[in-house]
Amino acid sequence: MIKAENLKKSYGATVAVDDVSFEVQKGQTFGLLGPNGAGKTTTIQLLCGLLKPDAGKITLDGKTDPGLIEVRMSLGVVPQALALYEELTALENLRFFGKIYGLSGQKLKERVNNCLDIAGLAQRSKERVSKYSGGMKRRLNMVCSLLHNPPILLLDEPTVGVDPQSRNLIFDTIEDMRKEGRTIIYTTHYMEEAQRLCDKVAIIDHGRILDMDNVENLITKHGGPSHIEAEFEEKSLDINKIKPFIDDENLQYEESKIRFQTSQPMESLAKLNSSGMRFNSLKVQTTNLEDVFLNLTGRRLRD
Amino acid sequence: MNKVLSLAIKDLRVLISDRGNVFWVFGFPVIFALFFGAIYSGAGEGPSGMEIAIVNEDNSEFSSSYISKLESDDALKIVNLSRQEAIERVRKGKVAAAIILNKGFGDGFEALFSSEDPKFEIASDPSRKMESGYLQGLLAKAQFEALSEKFTDRQWMKDQVALWRGELETATDLDFEDAELYLKFMDSLDTLLTDANDDSFVTGFNGDILNFAQLDVNREYEGPITAFQVIFPQAILWGILGCTATFAISIVKERTNGTFNRLRIGPLSRAHILAGKGTACFMTCAFIMCILSIGAKVIFKTSINNFLLFIPAAICTLLCFVGLMMFICTLGRTEQSAGGAGWAIIMIMAMIGGGMVPLVFMPSWLRPFSHISPVKWSIYALEGAIWRDFSFRDLINPCLVLLAIGFAAFLLGTVMLRRQDD
Repeated sequence: MIKAENLKKSYGATVAVDDVSFEVQKGQTFGLLGPNGAGKTTTIQLLCGLLKPDAGKITLDGKTDPGLIEVRMSLGVVPQALALYEELTALENLRFFGKIYGLSGQKLKERVNNCLDIAGLAQRSKERVSKYSGGMKRRLNMVCSLLHNPPILLLDEPTVGVDPQSRNLIFDTIEDMRKEGRTIIYTTHYMEEAQRLCDKVAIIDHGRILDMDNVENLITKHGGPSHIEAEFEEKSLDINKIKPFIDDENLQYEESKIRFQTSQPMESLAKLNSSGMRFNSLKVQTTNLEDVFLNLTGRRLRD
Repeated sequence: MNKVLSLAIKDLRVLISDRGNVFWVFGFPVIFALFFGAIYSGAGEGPSGMEIAIVNEDNSEFSSSYISKLESDDALKIVNLSRQEAIERVRKGKVAAAIILNKGFGDGFEALFSSEDPKFEIASDPSRKMESGYLQGLLAKAQFEALSEKFTDRQWMKDQVALWRGELETATDLDFEDAELYLKFMDSLDTLLTDANDDSFVTGFNGDILNFAQLDVNREYEGPITAFQVIFPQAILWGILGCTATFAISIVKERTNGTFNRLRIGPLSRAHILAGKGTACFMTCAFIMCILSIGAKVIFKTSINNFLLFIPAAICTLLCFVGLMMFICTLGRTEQSAGGAGWAIIMIMAMIGGGMVPLVFMPSWLRPFSHISPVKWSIYALEGAIWRDFSFRDLINPCLVLLAIGFAAFLLGTVMLRRQDD
């Protein structure tokens, strides 16, 4: 459905996108996870034809020119910046963008009402956008791209600076769209969002994709081991009784507590449980995409 | 076309949602027209009610009569002061001039016409020659009117004749024959003054100083009939200039807040987007022209002489400034920088093009520079239709210049815009 091959884009001496390649299948949600300035927005702008790549090729639904009208009609782009007319009302904004996408009459009215419902703005649709909160503007910014029911969605950090309520509403909307079978590219620097929403994630930094896979595989490959911490009922613990049930050579213990690393936490827990010892408490610290990024770049996502 | 119209309507909605924009685009040109129309409508009638100070150091019957003649003249406003106060007021520009009637001003013909010992002085700024000349005319008129009244005073005339007779009898520089001749004339005059009955005396000596009949001839105007006809094209231009700046800034605003990119992502070409802006600008300017045309007709009773020529003149003007709008929007990447640069260019164009001061009032050395300003050509084309009685052929030249400027600016603007976006 979407294919990017060896994309390159530079601004003078600064390389914004460097040899980026990926493929997104129909109905898949693909995440671009990286810190600010990693090249996510430039990649989106290349995909939707706002920028021309210095090198490389883009294929969208079989067509290689993002500038074609039929390609643009199949795209819904949610820009990172709030691209709204703040002097107009939500209703006027939606009507205007709907007309730009060729909607009119009853169909326009239905789509506008539907989008207002999705954004939770039906009650305040006749207020000027300038009077809205940041979250409301974000929601409107998103639904303006859904008016024409595009099969492909490019969402560029759609939750930046929003309140938890708006964030959840945006997540719910995206999940609904996933269920409807739309193809989505989602950029973010929040690993929780990529983990929750994306089938496949590319870790991007300094314009290069460092690795790309589903979340589980990325964590397995780059996340490092999980940590398990257990406290037993028995006050003076005989460590030799426990050792056969733990594979980690770096087992640490102190009185009734043990701590060890494992790459397969569920299996390790099951094995530990089979020892017959009784626990007071059990903590499992699994790895996530933040650890993946840290291990791949030596930096945290929000550094 | 529907998409272009949607874009234009959206721009108009955004425009009218901002009160500041509404004022500068719609209100300012109307105020400009009303204000300057009112000012210039008083032009050409000469200075009225010129304020002058009078210093009466003579305090004679004649000087009082003279002052009352001046006071009765509508063209003057008289204030009586001491010499020092009067000169101080002239210095500070509070009065146009001071008239000082020296002692002896009312002593008779000798005093009035003596070239050796002037009996009145005019204190005025030497650089204001036109005002001074105008004042001298009014003073001479008052002086002859006061003198004319004196001629009806039989005793005063007899005293004057006795005075002149005495001077003739004692004159050493006259031939005896000439002196005899003048003395005979004095005898005759004395007889006339004694014997003439009162009615014929008064009628004979108290006629109008200038006896003329007023013939009313309506002038055939080559220039504008009313002052508003001069101001009308300028007001239109200010409306268009306001619009040009506003829409140029709105393009920059769209680019900075991302809506321009959002539109570009949609099923629109860049040409669509720019055409939408241009259409909105064109429609707004056309609306301003309509408002001012109606205002001209209703308020100033001024109409467009040739409406059929006004339409192409207006269209060419609008197309020119739509093109300039496209160029101005590329002069800065922020609203502030584009607005600043845009207004600077607009002000210069207006200044040298006759948008602020009509070209006829501009110094001759500055006029050739006006050729590079589209404001000049726009005003010229509009004036051609409004009062210059242009033929279609006359209109072609300014219209072609306007279209050329507009096209060049549009082309330059779109190329620069493309470069900046890429």
